[in-house]
Amino acid sequence: MTRRDSALRLARVGGVITSVALVAFAGIYVRALMFTPIERFQGPAQKIFYVHAPVAWAALLAFLVTGILSLLYLIMRDRKLDTIAAASAEVGVAFAVVMLTTGPLWGKPVWGTWWSWDARLTSTLFIFLLFVGYQVLRGALHDPEIRARFSAVMGVMALVLVPFIHVTVYWFRTLHPEPVLMKPERPSLPGVMLVTLLSSVAVCTLMYVGFLLMRYSLAVLRDIREEEIVDGVS
Amino acid sequence: MRRGRWWSATGNWSPVSNAATLQAIFAIAGKDLLVEGRTKTAFFSSLVFAILVLTVLYFARDKTSVGDLDLAPGALWVTFTFAGMLGLNRAFVLETENRAMDGVRLTPATPTAIFLGKVLGSLVFVGTVELVSLPVFILFYDVPIWRELPILILVIALATIGFVSVGTLFASMVVRTRFSEVMLPVLMLPFLFPPVVAAVQLTRGILALRPLSEYSGWLSLLAAFVIIFFTFSLFLFEAILEE
Amino acid sequence: MEYPDNGAYMVAAYIVAAVVIAVYAVSLFYRIRKAAKR
Repeated sequence: MTRRDSALRLARVGGVITSVALVAFAGIYVRALMFTPIERFQGPAQKIFYVHAPVAWAALLAFLVTGILSLLYLIMRDRKLDTIAAASAEVGVAFAVVMLTTGPLWGKPVWGTWWSWDARLTSTLFIFLLFVGYQVLRGALHDPEIRARFSAVMGVMALVLVPFIHVTVYWFRTLHPEPVLMKPERPSLPGVMLVTLLSSVAVCTLMYVGFLLMRYSLAVLRDIREEEIVDGVS
Repeated sequence: MRRGRWWSATGNWSPVSNAATLQAIFAIAGKDLLVEGRTKTAFFSSLVFAILVLTVLYFARDKTSVGDLDLAPGALWVTFTFAGMLGLNRAFVLETENRAMDGVRLTPATPTAIFLGKVLGSLVFVGTVELVSLPVFILFYDVPIWRELPILILVIALATIGFVSVGTLFASMVVRTRFSEVMLPVLMLPFLFPPVVAAVQLTRGILALRPLSEYSGWLSLLAAFVIIFFTFSLFLFEAILEE
Repeated sequence: MEYPDNGAYMVAAYIVAAVVIAVYAVSLFYRIRKAAKR
Protein backbone atom coordinates (compact mmCIF):
# COMPACT_ATOMS: atom_id res chain seq x y z
CA MET A 1 0.00 0.00 0.00
CA THR A 2 1.48 3.32 -1.00
CA ARG A 3 1.89 6.15 1.40
CA ARG A 4 -0.88 7.99 -0.33
CA ASP A 5 -3.24 5.06 0.03
CA SER A 6 -2.60 4.71 3.73
CA ALA A 7 -3.10 8.45 4.21
CA LEU A 8 -6.38 8.24 2.33
CA ARG A 9 -7.37 5.29 4.46
CA LEU A 10 -6.64 7.24 7.60
CA ALA A 11 -8.61 10.19 6.25
CA ARG A 12 -11.56 7.93 5.61
CA VAL A 13 -11.40 6.45 9.10
CA GLY A 14 -11.14 9.94 10.52
CA GLY A 15 -14.06 11.05 8.41
CA VAL A 16 -16.21 8.22 9.66
CA ILE A 17 -15.34 8.85 13.28
CA THR A 18 -15.98 12.56 12.86
CA SER A 19 -19.33 11.98 11.20
CA VAL A 20 -20.39 9.62 13.94
CA ALA A 21 -19.26 12.13 16.54
CA LEU A 22 -21.15 14.95 14.84
CA VAL A 23 -24.34 12.93 14.75
CA ALA A 24 -23.82 11.98 18.37
CA PHE A 25 -23.20 15.64 19.16
CA ALA A 26 -26.56 16.47 17.64
CA GLY A 27 -27.97 13.75 19.85
CA ILE A 28 -26.42 15.43 22.86
CA TYR A 29 -28.06 18.66 21.80
CA VAL A 30 -31.43 16.95 21.72
CA ARG A 31 -30.88 15.27 25.03
CA ALA A 32 -29.62 18.39 26.76
CA LEU A 33 -32.24 20.69 25.39
CA MET A 34 -35.28 18.49 25.57
CA PHE A 35 -34.68 15.63 27.96
CA THR A 36 -32.58 17.17 30.69
CA PRO A 37 -34.38 19.16 33.36
CA ILE A 38 -33.81 22.87 33.75
CA GLU A 39 -31.74 23.80 36.75
CA ARG A 40 -33.81 25.82 39.15
CA PHE A 41 -31.40 28.54 40.16
CA GLN A 42 -29.44 29.03 36.97
CA GLY A 43 -32.26 28.54 34.55
CA PRO A 44 -32.01 27.30 31.00
CA ALA A 45 -28.62 28.97 30.55
CA GLN A 46 -27.14 26.29 32.78
CA LYS A 47 -27.48 23.89 29.88
CA ILE A 48 -24.63 25.69 28.15
CA PHE A 49 -22.53 23.77 30.64
CA TYR A 50 -23.20 20.54 28.74
CA VAL A 51 -21.43 22.01 25.73
CA HIS A 52 -18.91 24.32 27.35
CA ALA A 53 -17.32 21.94 29.84
CA PRO A 54 -16.77 18.97 27.47
CA VAL A 55 -15.42 21.29 24.76
CA ALA A 56 -13.04 22.83 27.30
CA TRP A 57 -11.92 19.35 28.19
CA ALA A 58 -11.27 18.58 24.51
CA ALA A 59 -9.24 21.78 24.14
CA LEU A 60 -7.19 20.83 27.19
CA LEU A 61 -6.70 17.32 25.80
CA ALA A 62 -5.51 18.80 22.49
CA PHE A 63 -3.10 21.02 24.38
CA LEU A 64 -1.68 18.13 26.40
CA VAL A 65 -1.24 16.04 23.26
CA THR A 66 0.60 18.86 21.50
CA GLY A 67 2.80 19.47 24.52
CA ILE A 68 3.67 15.85 25.19
CA LEU A 69 4.29 15.03 21.53
CA SER A 70 6.51 18.10 21.33
CA LEU A 71 8.62 16.69 24.13
CA LEU A 72 8.69 13.27 22.49
CA TYR A 73 9.72 14.83 19.18
CA LEU A 74 12.72 16.48 20.78
CA ILE A 75 13.75 13.14 22.22
CA MET A 76 13.00 10.87 19.28
CA ARG A 77 13.04 13.26 16.29
CA ASP A 78 10.35 11.31 14.47
CA ARG A 79 8.73 13.79 12.08
CA LYS A 80 5.35 12.08 12.48
CA LEU A 81 5.24 13.26 16.09
CA ASP A 82 5.55 16.85 14.96
CA THR A 83 2.84 16.41 12.34
CA ILE A 84 0.44 15.01 14.93
CA ALA A 85 1.33 17.74 17.42
CA ALA A 86 0.59 20.42 14.85
CA ALA A 87 -2.67 18.73 13.88
CA SER A 88 -3.68 18.60 17.53
CA ALA A 89 -2.89 22.30 17.87
CA GLU A 90 -5.23 23.26 15.05
CA VAL A 91 -8.02 21.08 16.41
CA GLY A 92 -7.36 22.58 19.81
CA VAL A 93 -7.86 26.09 18.45
CA ALA A 94 -11.27 25.11 17.11
CA PHE A 95 -12.35 23.69 20.44
CA ALA A 96 -10.86 26.64 22.29
CA VAL A 97 -12.88 29.07 20.20
CA VAL A 98 -16.07 27.25 21.14
CA MET A 99 -14.96 27.19 24.75
CA LEU A 100 -14.18 30.90 24.87
CA THR A 101 -17.45 31.90 23.22
CA THR A 102 -19.76 29.63 25.18
CA GLY A 103 -18.04 30.46 28.46
CA PRO A 104 -19.02 34.12 28.65
CA LEU A 105 -22.48 33.29 27.31
CA TRP A 106 -22.87 31.03 30.32
CA GLY A 107 -21.17 33.40 32.72
CA LYS A 108 -23.22 36.49 31.99
CA PRO A 109 -26.67 35.15 32.89
CA VAL A 110 -25.49 32.86 35.65
CA TRP A 111 -22.69 34.77 37.37
CA GLY A 112 -23.56 38.29 36.31
CA THR A 113 -20.39 38.94 34.37
CA TRP A 114 -19.08 38.08 30.91
CA TRP A 115 -15.67 37.19 32.23
CA SER A 116 -13.97 36.65 35.55
CA TRP A 117 -10.25 36.32 35.94
CA ASP A 118 -10.37 33.17 37.96
CA ALA A 119 -7.78 30.42 37.70
CA ARG A 120 -9.62 28.12 35.37
CA LEU A 121 -10.90 30.71 32.91
CA THR A 122 -7.59 32.53 32.76
CA SER A 123 -5.70 29.28 32.20
CA THR A 124 -7.98 28.34 29.34
CA LEU A 125 -7.57 31.78 27.81
CA PHE A 126 -3.82 31.37 27.98
CA ILE A 127 -4.04 27.90 26.44
CA PHE A 128 -5.82 29.55 23.51
CA LEU A 129 -3.17 32.29 23.28
CA LEU A 130 -0.39 29.70 23.43
CA PHE A 131 -2.04 27.68 20.66
CA VAL A 132 -2.25 30.82 18.54
CA GLY A 133 1.39 31.64 19.25
CA TYR A 134 2.35 28.10 18.28
CA GLN A 135 0.53 28.41 14.96
CA VAL A 136 2.03 31.85 14.33
CA LEU A 137 5.51 30.48 14.93
CA ARG A 138 4.91 27.55 12.61
CA GLY A 139 3.54 29.84 9.95
CA ALA A 140 6.69 31.94 10.06
CA LEU A 141 9.14 29.06 9.71
CA HIS A 142 9.43 27.46 6.30
CA ASP A 143 12.07 24.78 6.59
CA PRO A 144 10.21 21.67 7.80
CA GLU A 145 12.94 20.42 10.09
CA ILE A 146 13.48 23.79 11.74
CA ARG A 147 9.75 24.33 12.03
CA ALA A 148 9.32 20.97 13.72
CA ARG A 149 12.21 21.55 16.12
CA PHE A 150 11.31 25.11 17.07
CA SER A 151 7.62 24.48 17.55
CA ALA A 152 8.47 21.46 19.66
CA VAL A 153 10.53 23.71 21.92
CA MET A 154 7.60 26.09 22.16
CA GLY A 155 5.23 23.20 22.82
CA VAL A 156 7.29 21.99 25.75
CA MET A 157 7.63 25.49 27.21
CA ALA A 158 3.88 26.00 26.89
CA LEU A 159 3.18 22.72 28.65
CA VAL A 160 5.35 23.76 31.60
CA LEU A 161 3.83 27.23 31.70
CA VAL A 162 0.16 26.40 32.14
CA PRO A 163 0.41 25.03 35.69
CA PHE A 164 2.25 28.23 36.64
CA ILE A 165 -0.53 30.35 35.21
CA HIS A 166 -3.10 28.40 37.13
CA VAL A 167 -1.23 28.77 40.42
CA THR A 168 -0.54 32.46 39.84
CA VAL A 169 -4.18 33.30 39.33
CA TYR A 170 -5.28 31.04 42.16
CA TRP A 171 -2.95 32.78 44.59
CA PHE A 172 -3.95 36.14 43.27
CA ARG A 173 -7.57 35.32 44.05
CA THR A 174 -6.90 33.76 47.44
CA LEU A 175 -4.71 36.60 48.60
CA HIS A 176 -6.96 39.26 47.15
CA PRO A 177 -10.44 37.94 47.62
CA GLU A 178 -12.71 39.84 45.34
CA PRO A 179 -16.36 40.36 46.23
CA VAL A 180 -17.95 36.99 45.83
CA LEU A 181 -19.82 36.91 42.57
CA MET A 182 -23.21 35.39 42.36
CA LYS A 183 -21.59 32.01 41.89
CA PRO A 184 -23.76 28.95 41.88
CA GLU A 185 -22.86 26.17 44.22
CA ARG A 186 -21.37 23.05 42.73
CA PRO A 187 -23.94 20.51 43.84
CA SER A 188 -23.36 16.96 42.84
CA LEU A 189 -25.30 16.70 39.63
CA PRO A 190 -28.42 14.59 39.82
CA GLY A 191 -28.39 11.47 37.69
CA VAL A 192 -30.00 12.76 34.52
CA MET A 193 -27.75 15.80 34.29
CA LEU A 194 -24.66 13.79 35.08
CA VAL A 195 -25.42 11.35 32.29
CA THR A 196 -25.88 14.20 29.84
CA LEU A 197 -22.60 15.73 30.89
CA LEU A 198 -20.63 12.51 30.72
CA SER A 199 -22.08 11.54 27.37
CA SER A 200 -21.17 14.95 26.07
CA VAL A 201 -17.60 14.52 27.31
CA ALA A 202 -17.40 11.15 25.55
CA VAL A 203 -18.76 12.60 22.33
CA CYS A 204 -16.37 15.55 22.39
CA THR A 205 -13.44 13.22 23.00
CA LEU A 206 -14.54 11.12 20.03
CA MET A 207 -14.86 14.30 17.97
CA TYR A 208 -11.34 15.29 18.94
CA VAL A 209 -10.01 11.93 17.80
CA GLY A 210 -11.90 12.15 14.52
CA PHE A 211 -10.72 15.72 13.86
CA LEU A 212 -7.17 14.78 14.77
CA LEU A 213 -7.09 11.83 12.38
CA MET A 214 -8.51 13.96 9.61
CA ARG A 215 -6.15 16.87 10.20
CA TYR A 216 -3.17 14.55 10.40
CA SER A 217 -4.03 12.76 7.18
CA LEU A 218 -4.57 16.16 5.56
CA ALA A 219 -1.02 17.13 6.53
CA VAL A 220 0.35 13.86 5.14
CA LEU A 221 -1.59 14.25 1.88
CA ARG A 222 -0.27 17.78 1.51
CA ASP A 223 3.27 16.60 2.11
CA ILE A 224 2.83 13.93 -0.56
CA ARG A 225 1.49 16.54 -2.95
CA GLU A 226 4.49 18.79 -2.26
CA GLU A 227 6.85 15.93 -3.00
CA GLU A 228 4.98 15.09 -6.19
CA ILE A 229 5.29 18.68 -7.35
CA VAL A 230 8.98 18.79 -6.56
CA ASP A 231 9.54 15.43 -8.26
CA GLY A 232 7.48 16.52 -11.26
CA VAL A 233 9.62 19.63 -11.69
CA SER A 234 12.94 17.81 -11.29
CA MET B 1 40.63 26.94 37.93
CA ARG B 2 40.33 23.25 38.45
CA ARG B 3 40.57 21.37 35.22
CA GLY B 4 37.56 19.14 35.24
CA ARG B 5 34.83 17.87 32.99
CA TRP B 6 32.00 20.21 32.22
CA TRP B 7 28.63 18.69 31.71
CA SER B 8 26.97 20.09 28.64
CA ALA B 9 23.22 20.32 28.37
CA THR B 10 23.05 17.14 26.27
CA GLY B 11 24.43 15.17 29.16
CA ASN B 12 27.61 14.33 27.33
CA TRP B 13 30.66 14.67 29.44
CA SER B 14 32.63 16.87 27.17
CA PRO B 15 36.31 17.25 27.92
CA VAL B 16 36.07 21.00 28.09
CA SER B 17 37.32 22.51 31.25
CA ASN B 18 35.23 24.65 33.51
CA ALA B 19 37.62 27.47 32.90
CA ALA B 20 37.17 27.31 29.14
CA THR B 21 33.40 27.35 29.47
CA LEU B 22 33.45 30.30 31.82
CA GLN B 23 35.80 32.01 29.41
CA ALA B 24 33.39 31.34 26.55
CA ILE B 25 30.49 32.76 28.52
CA PHE B 26 32.30 35.96 29.29
CA ALA B 27 33.68 36.17 25.78
CA ILE B 28 30.23 35.95 24.22
CA ALA B 29 28.69 38.37 26.69
CA GLY B 30 31.62 40.72 26.27
CA LYS B 31 31.44 40.61 22.49
CA ASP B 32 27.70 41.33 22.53
CA LEU B 33 28.16 44.26 24.89
CA LEU B 34 31.09 45.57 22.89
CA VAL B 35 29.03 45.56 19.70
CA GLU B 36 26.18 47.26 21.50
CA GLY B 37 28.57 49.72 23.05
CA ARG B 38 29.68 50.93 19.63
CA THR B 39 26.32 52.21 18.50
CA LYS B 40 24.25 52.07 21.67
CA THR B 41 21.13 52.31 19.51
CA ALA B 42 19.23 49.52 21.20
CA PHE B 43 20.23 50.79 24.60
CA PHE B 44 19.05 54.32 24.05
CA SER B 45 15.86 53.11 22.39
CA SER B 46 15.06 50.95 25.39
CA LEU B 47 15.87 53.73 27.78
CA VAL B 48 13.77 56.32 26.00
CA PHE B 49 10.97 53.79 25.73
CA ALA B 50 11.12 53.11 29.45
CA ILE B 51 10.97 56.79 30.34
CA LEU B 52 8.12 57.37 27.91
CA VAL B 53 6.09 54.51 29.36
CA LEU B 54 6.65 55.76 32.88
CA THR B 55 5.66 59.27 31.88
CA VAL B 56 2.52 58.26 30.05
CA LEU B 57 1.38 56.00 32.87
CA TYR B 58 2.04 58.76 35.34
CA PHE B 59 0.00 61.35 33.53
CA ALA B 60 -2.71 58.91 32.54
CA ARG B 61 -4.08 58.49 36.01
CA ASP B 62 -6.31 60.56 38.20
CA LYS B 63 -4.15 61.53 41.13
CA THR B 64 -7.08 62.05 43.45
CA SER B 65 -8.47 58.57 43.10
CA VAL B 66 -5.49 56.36 42.30
CA GLY B 67 -2.79 56.42 44.92
CA ASP B 68 0.92 56.16 44.21
CA LEU B 69 1.10 52.82 45.88
CA ASP B 70 -1.66 51.41 43.72
CA LEU B 71 -0.21 52.40 40.41
CA ALA B 72 3.52 52.40 41.02
CA PRO B 73 4.26 48.63 41.08
CA GLY B 74 2.33 47.98 37.87
CA ALA B 75 3.89 50.98 36.15
CA LEU B 76 7.36 49.87 37.15
CA TRP B 77 6.96 46.34 35.81
CA VAL B 78 5.22 47.27 32.59
CA THR B 79 8.13 49.60 31.96
CA PHE B 80 10.78 47.02 32.79
CA THR B 81 9.29 44.19 30.78
CA PHE B 82 8.54 46.12 27.61
CA ALA B 83 11.84 47.97 27.63
CA GLY B 84 13.51 44.64 28.39
CA MET B 85 11.90 42.95 25.42
CA LEU B 86 13.32 45.61 23.13
CA GLY B 87 16.73 44.59 24.32
CA LEU B 88 16.25 40.85 24.03
CA ASN B 89 15.95 40.71 20.29
CA ARG B 90 19.29 42.40 19.69
CA ALA B 91 21.13 39.45 21.24
CA PHE B 92 20.49 37.36 18.15
CA VAL B 93 19.80 39.94 15.49
CA LEU B 94 23.44 40.93 15.66
CA GLU B 95 24.36 37.35 14.78
CA THR B 96 22.41 37.42 11.55
CA GLU B 97 24.86 39.74 9.86
CA ASN B 98 27.55 37.96 7.86
CA ARG B 99 26.27 34.68 9.25
CA ALA B 100 27.99 35.47 12.51
CA MET B 101 26.00 32.75 14.24
CA ASP B 102 27.93 30.13 12.31
CA GLY B 103 31.08 31.73 13.57
CA VAL B 104 29.89 31.44 17.14
CA ARG B 105 28.98 27.81 16.54
CA LEU B 106 32.45 27.05 15.22
CA THR B 107 34.08 28.13 18.45
CA PRO B 108 34.62 25.43 21.05
CA ALA B 109 31.89 27.04 23.13
CA THR B 110 29.19 24.57 24.09
CA PRO B 111 25.53 25.47 23.54
CA THR B 112 25.29 25.90 27.29
CA ALA B 113 28.07 28.45 27.23
CA ILE B 114 26.52 30.27 24.30
CA PHE B 115 23.17 30.44 26.06
CA LEU B 116 24.69 31.64 29.31
CA GLY B 117 26.81 34.18 27.45
CA LYS B 118 23.77 35.54 25.64
CA VAL B 119 21.77 35.65 28.87
CA LEU B 120 24.59 37.41 30.67
CA GLY B 121 24.89 40.00 27.92
CA SER B 122 21.17 40.63 27.95
CA LEU B 123 21.10 40.79 31.74
CA VAL B 124 23.74 43.52 31.69
CA PHE B 125 21.78 45.34 29.01
CA VAL B 126 18.37 45.08 30.65
CA GLY B 127 19.85 45.62 34.09
CA THR B 128 21.40 48.87 32.98
CA VAL B 129 18.15 50.08 31.49
CA GLU B 130 16.40 49.19 34.75
CA LEU B 131 19.07 50.91 36.79
CA VAL B 132 18.77 54.12 34.83
CA SER B 133 14.98 54.19 34.77
CA LEU B 134 14.68 53.54 38.49
CA PRO B 135 15.54 57.14 39.46
CA VAL B 136 12.94 58.35 36.97
CA PHE B 137 10.48 56.06 38.66
CA ILE B 138 11.35 57.47 42.07
CA LEU B 139 10.87 60.94 40.67
CA PHE B 140 7.32 60.17 39.69
CA TYR B 141 6.10 58.10 42.59
CA ASP B 142 6.32 58.87 46.24
CA VAL B 143 7.21 55.41 47.50
CA PRO B 144 9.65 54.37 50.23
CA ILE B 145 12.20 52.80 47.93
CA TRP B 146 15.35 53.46 49.89
CA ARG B 147 14.28 51.67 53.02
CA GLU B 148 13.47 48.52 51.13
CA LEU B 149 16.15 48.70 48.48
CA PRO B 150 17.92 45.35 49.16
CA ILE B 151 14.87 43.16 48.92
CA LEU B 152 13.53 45.21 46.05
CA ILE B 153 16.77 44.68 44.16
CA LEU B 154 16.44 40.94 44.85
CA VAL B 155 12.94 40.88 43.41
CA ILE B 156 13.95 42.93 40.38
CA ALA B 157 16.97 40.70 39.79
CA LEU B 158 14.95 37.48 40.07
CA ALA B 159 12.16 38.58 37.77
CA THR B 160 14.65 39.97 35.27
CA ILE B 161 16.61 36.71 35.19
CA GLY B 162 13.31 34.92 34.66
CA PHE B 163 12.16 36.86 31.66
CA VAL B 164 15.62 37.26 30.16
CA SER B 165 16.18 33.47 30.17
CA VAL B 166 12.86 32.74 28.51
CA GLY B 167 13.32 35.73 26.23
CA THR B 168 16.77 34.60 25.12
CA LEU B 169 15.37 31.20 24.12
CA PHE B 170 12.49 32.74 22.19
CA ALA B 171 14.70 35.40 20.61
CA SER B 172 16.92 32.64 19.24
CA MET B 173 13.84 31.14 17.60
CA VAL B 174 12.22 34.22 16.15
CA VAL B 175 15.38 35.70 14.73
CA ARG B 176 14.90 33.36 11.76
CA THR B 177 11.47 34.75 11.02
CA ARG B 178 10.64 37.85 9.06
CA PHE B 179 8.96 39.90 11.71
CA SER B 180 11.08 39.01 14.68
CA GLU B 181 10.47 42.26 16.59
CA VAL B 182 6.74 41.59 16.59
CA MET B 183 6.92 37.86 17.04
CA LEU B 184 9.01 37.97 20.17
CA PRO B 185 6.37 39.76 22.28
CA VAL B 186 3.59 37.65 20.76
CA LEU B 187 5.25 34.42 21.78
CA MET B 188 6.68 35.67 25.05
CA LEU B 189 3.78 37.46 26.69
CA PRO B 190 2.05 34.38 28.11
CA PHE B 191 5.37 33.47 29.71
CA LEU B 192 5.65 36.87 31.32
CA PHE B 193 2.37 36.46 33.17
CA PRO B 194 3.56 34.50 36.24
CA PRO B 195 6.82 36.39 36.88
CA VAL B 196 5.36 39.85 36.26
CA VAL B 197 2.28 39.25 38.40
CA ALA B 198 4.49 37.89 41.16
CA ALA B 199 6.92 40.80 40.79
CA VAL B 200 4.12 43.37 40.92
CA GLN B 201 2.60 41.78 44.01
CA LEU B 202 6.00 41.63 45.66
CA THR B 203 6.82 45.22 44.76
CA ARG B 204 3.50 46.36 46.15
CA GLY B 205 3.99 44.41 49.35
CA ILE B 206 7.51 45.72 49.76
CA LEU B 207 6.67 49.35 49.07
CA ALA B 208 3.64 49.17 51.32
CA LEU B 209 6.05 48.07 54.03
CA ARG B 210 4.09 44.92 54.69
CA PRO B 211 5.76 42.13 56.68
CA LEU B 212 7.63 39.51 54.65
CA SER B 213 5.28 36.73 55.72
CA GLU B 214 2.48 38.38 53.82
CA TYR B 215 4.06 38.09 50.44
CA SER B 216 6.51 35.23 50.86
CA GLY B 217 4.23 33.04 48.75
CA TRP B 218 4.83 35.26 45.74
CA LEU B 219 8.55 35.07 46.38
CA SER B 220 8.42 31.27 46.26
CA LEU B 221 6.38 31.40 43.06
CA LEU B 222 8.86 33.78 41.45
CA ALA B 223 11.82 31.71 42.59
CA ALA B 224 10.19 28.49 41.36
CA PHE B 225 9.43 30.08 38.00
CA VAL B 226 12.99 31.34 37.59
CA ILE B 227 14.56 28.02 38.55
CA ILE B 228 12.30 25.93 36.34
CA PHE B 229 12.25 28.17 33.30
CA PHE B 230 15.94 29.02 33.44
CA THR B 231 16.67 25.30 33.44
CA PHE B 232 14.26 24.49 30.63
CA SER B 233 15.46 27.40 28.52
CA LEU B 234 19.04 26.28 28.99
CA PHE B 235 18.29 22.70 27.97
CA LEU B 236 16.03 23.55 25.08
CA PHE B 237 18.47 26.10 23.63
CA GLU B 238 20.65 23.29 22.43
CA ALA B 239 17.80 22.09 20.21
CA ILE B 240 17.54 25.53 18.67
CA LEU B 241 21.23 25.75 17.97
CA GLU B 242 21.49 22.47 16.08
CA GLU B 243 22.48 22.48 12.50
CA MET C 1 -41.90 30.12 35.99
CA GLU C 2 -39.71 29.39 38.93
CA TYR C 3 -36.41 29.77 37.10
CA PRO C 4 -34.71 32.85 35.59
CA ASP C 5 -35.61 33.76 32.06
CA ASN C 6 -32.26 33.41 30.30
CA GLY C 7 -33.05 30.97 27.54
CA ALA C 8 -31.73 33.39 24.95
CA TYR C 9 -28.17 32.85 26.16
CA MET C 10 -28.60 29.12 25.92
CA VAL C 11 -29.85 29.33 22.36
CA ALA C 12 -27.03 31.68 21.37
CA ALA C 13 -24.37 29.46 22.90
CA TYR C 14 -25.72 26.28 21.37
CA ILE C 15 -25.92 27.92 17.96
CA VAL C 16 -22.40 29.38 18.14
CA ALA C 17 -20.97 26.04 19.23
CA ALA C 18 -22.75 24.15 16.48
CA VAL C 19 -21.67 26.65 13.83
CA VAL C 20 -17.99 26.65 14.82
CA ILE C 21 -17.84 22.85 15.01
CA ALA C 22 -19.72 22.43 11.75
CA VAL C 23 -17.56 24.98 9.92
CA TYR C 24 -14.38 23.33 11.16
CA ALA C 25 -15.59 19.85 10.24
CA VAL C 26 -16.64 20.96 6.77
CA SER C 27 -13.30 22.74 6.29
CA LEU C 28 -11.51 19.50 7.11
CA PHE C 29 -13.58 17.43 4.69
CA TYR C 30 -13.15 20.03 1.97
CA ARG C 31 -9.41 20.45 2.46
CA ILE C 32 -8.87 16.71 2.41
CA ARG C 33 -10.84 16.43 -0.80
CA LYS C 34 -8.64 19.08 -2.39
CA ALA C 35 -5.40 17.52 -1.21
CA ALA C 36 -6.44 14.03 -2.30
CA LYS C 37 -7.03 15.04 -5.91
CA ARG C 38 -4.24 13.98 -8.16
